[in-house]
Amino acid sequence: MASTLRRLSFLVVSSAVLSTGCSRKAEQPQTAPASQPAPPVYHVDSATAGSIHGIVRYQGKVPPKKPIDLSEDPACVEAHHGKAYDESILVGRGGALANAFVYVSKGLEGKNFATPAEAVVIDQKGCWFHPHVLGVQVNQTVDIINSDPVTHNIHPMAATNRAWNHSQGPGDPPMHRKFTKPEVMIPVKCNIHDWMHAYIGVLDHPYFAVSAEDGTFTIPNLPPGTYTLTIWHEKLGTQDQQITISPQQSAAADFTYKGK
Amino acid sequence: MVPRSALIRRKTLLRGRIAFPAGRLGLGALLTTLLLPVAGCKSVVPAKPLGTPVSIHSPLGLPPVPIPPENPPTVQTIALGRRLFYDQRLSKDNTLACASCHNPKFYFTDGLQFSKGVGGEVGVRNAPTLLNVAYQPFQFWDGRALNLEDQAASPIANPIEMNQSHDVSVSKLRRDPVYRAMFRDAFGTEDVTLKRIENALASFERTLLSGNSAFDRFQYGHDSNALTPQQVRGLAIFINPVKGNCAACHTINAQYALFTDGKFHNLGEGVGDDGTSFKDTGRYHQTGIETDRGAFKTPTLRNVARTAPYMHDGSLGTLKAVVDFYAGGGNSNPNLDKEIKSIHLSGQDREDLVSFLNSLTGDLPANVGPPPGKE
Ligand code: HEC
Ligand code: HEC
Repeated sequence: MASTLRRLSFLVVSSAVLSTGCSRKAEQPQTAPASQPAPPVYHVDSATAGSIHGIVRYQGKVPPKKPIDLSEDPACVEAHHGKAYDESILVGRGGALANAFVYVSKGLEGKNFATPAEAVVIDQKGCWFHPHVLGVQVNQTVDIINSDPVTHNIHPMAATNRAWNHSQGPGDPPMHRKFTKPEVMIPVKCNIHDWMHAYIGVLDHPYFAVSAEDGTFTIPNLPPGTYTLTIWHEKLGTQDQQITISPQQSAAADFTYKGK
Repeated sequence: MVPRSALIRRKTLLRGRIAFPAGRLGLGALLTTLLLPVAGCKSVVPAKPLGTPVSIHSPLGLPPVPIPPENPPTVQTIALGRRLFYDQRLSKDNTLACASCHNPKFYFTDGLQFSKGVGGEVGVRNAPTLLNVAYQPFQFWDGRALNLEDQAASPIANPIEMNQSHDVSVSKLRRDPVYRAMFRDAFGTEDVTLKRIENALASFERTLLSGNSAFDRFQYGHDSNALTPQQVRGLAIFINPVKGNCAACHTINAQYALFTDGKFHNLGEGVGDDGTSFKDTGRYHQTGIETDRGAFKTPTLRNVARTAPYMHDGSLGTLKAVVDFYAGGGNSNPNLDKEIKSIHLSGQDREDLVSFLNSLTGDLPANVGPPPGKE
């Protein structure tokens, strides 16, 4: 009798172990990202889509051009062809400000946009990053190439994404990397050449732009709606603007930074 | 690659435990031997050297060579090992000798990124120099052999290297009367066995010593002019823990310098685009320990100016590229060695380091080229 009981309780215990084992197993696939059905991709209706365009300006005394000394690596001096200047504040004619990153920061919630198939390229050339400021979408491929006769070690100092650094020698094949989470902005440096800097904005939608040398930017194909538009500049900080786009409208949104 | 090294590991373990010279027997035979210990021991040909003992002289900068008690070097085993080392009959199609990939002209490397085996099979690792291998506590980039005796059988049977079963190698050599005489002189009988081949190759390899470099004359030979001022600066950076920090792994001792700690470290060399996975898992392959993933044995830096290309995958072509790789902090990955994080090198430091690495080229030993009559 006693032994039967013992055997029974043993059975109960072991079946409990078994069942927790099973339930754990059953849970596993749910946590795996592959099993989550991807939310449907949002299609922008081209009949109603609008756009935003604008100019970014800098007001005030333009800081003098600061030369950058590449002589630490003589091969860089040669590869750069000409003098190198700090480009953290690039002001053109009429105060036009380049390299500002403009993006929709609110108003697109709940919409899921397709990841572009084409890669965005960062070239290390003349011991300089080209471009200096760029935007990509989450999971879009970033091709990193080294056109220089020297080794670089690119280091995106991400906070939300995984930070990493990787060596790339002369003639090495491109690296194909991805950022899996939105993050504005990821500062990028070269671990070997401390003057090399770039910034990457990662967004889960395609509505971003970098101001050109004449300060202009365009964000096309935007569904009608009310948005917060944010501008980021590496030295001058951020600003927000509310903007409402009606169907097929091309809305203007200019930004001005005040210098000292 | 997996089954091959797993097999080697098992063999090493078994041999270590039962202290039984089972090299000639296959694994199956070995297991049978374990089950039937008495029956298995019937005809063991001794592999203990019998000839004229040799004391191997180490050049300036190197410690005495460690000698295993069961295989003391003799004039006869060294001569036999030398002949075997340059003998293409150890390969399936008689085209490759050990020296094909460990060529004295290239300081006992092959100068290639990856070695070419029989039939043009390309391996996945760079051939290390055999100069000063006698000092290493582990052989191979992943340390899968513990000593030169164990190591020697592996390239012969490896399908992407010499690709010849040990039985065939043994019977090929047995047909040659010169070998029969040499085996008799070295071990007492004419028997050709794998264990004897291993012992002879290992003893020859123990004579592949190279020291007395400019660095050695400066550091251990009291010749303060042996290094240029730039090389002296490079040496200071090499040992400075907050500049090069190189000596943390490429060790320099008070009496001698091996330029390797004989241990395994992860520099991130070969990490994939996901920043975590390794095509070649290195030491992990042997230990299965997660933190060993991507770790490789520290190579010696002696003669490094003559042994390009560099790293386990031969991916860096020049010493400048290697030094720049370190200057950038290597490649990040979960197991990156913490010593890499202390490296800080200015442009001038990098040039000085390269100049210093060029001072490590030593003398080549005498009597290690192709044996007389085989040039
Ligand atoms: C086809 C080219 C090739 C041939 C032939 C060859 N090796 Fe090697 N050898 C290599 C490569 C490649 C490695 C590194 C392999 C690894 O680490 O996995 C190596 C590693 C070694 C090592 C370890 C060195 C170290 O620093 O870890 C020794 C010792 C060695 N070989 C000796 C020999 C001997 C003895 C022979 C002849 C029996 C031989 N090799 C034939 C290519 C070759
Ligand atoms: C954390 C230990 C460690 C430190 C510190 C270190 N090394 Fe290394 N070194 C290694 C290992 C391990 C390898 C092989 C790595 C591989 O192949 O993946 C290596 C490879 C090399 C090689 C290539 C040699 C060959 O034959 O392929 C050179 C040259 C070298 N190191 C020089 C240096 C210099 C110069 C420094 C200092 C700036 C340095 N090392 C610092 C561990 C270290």
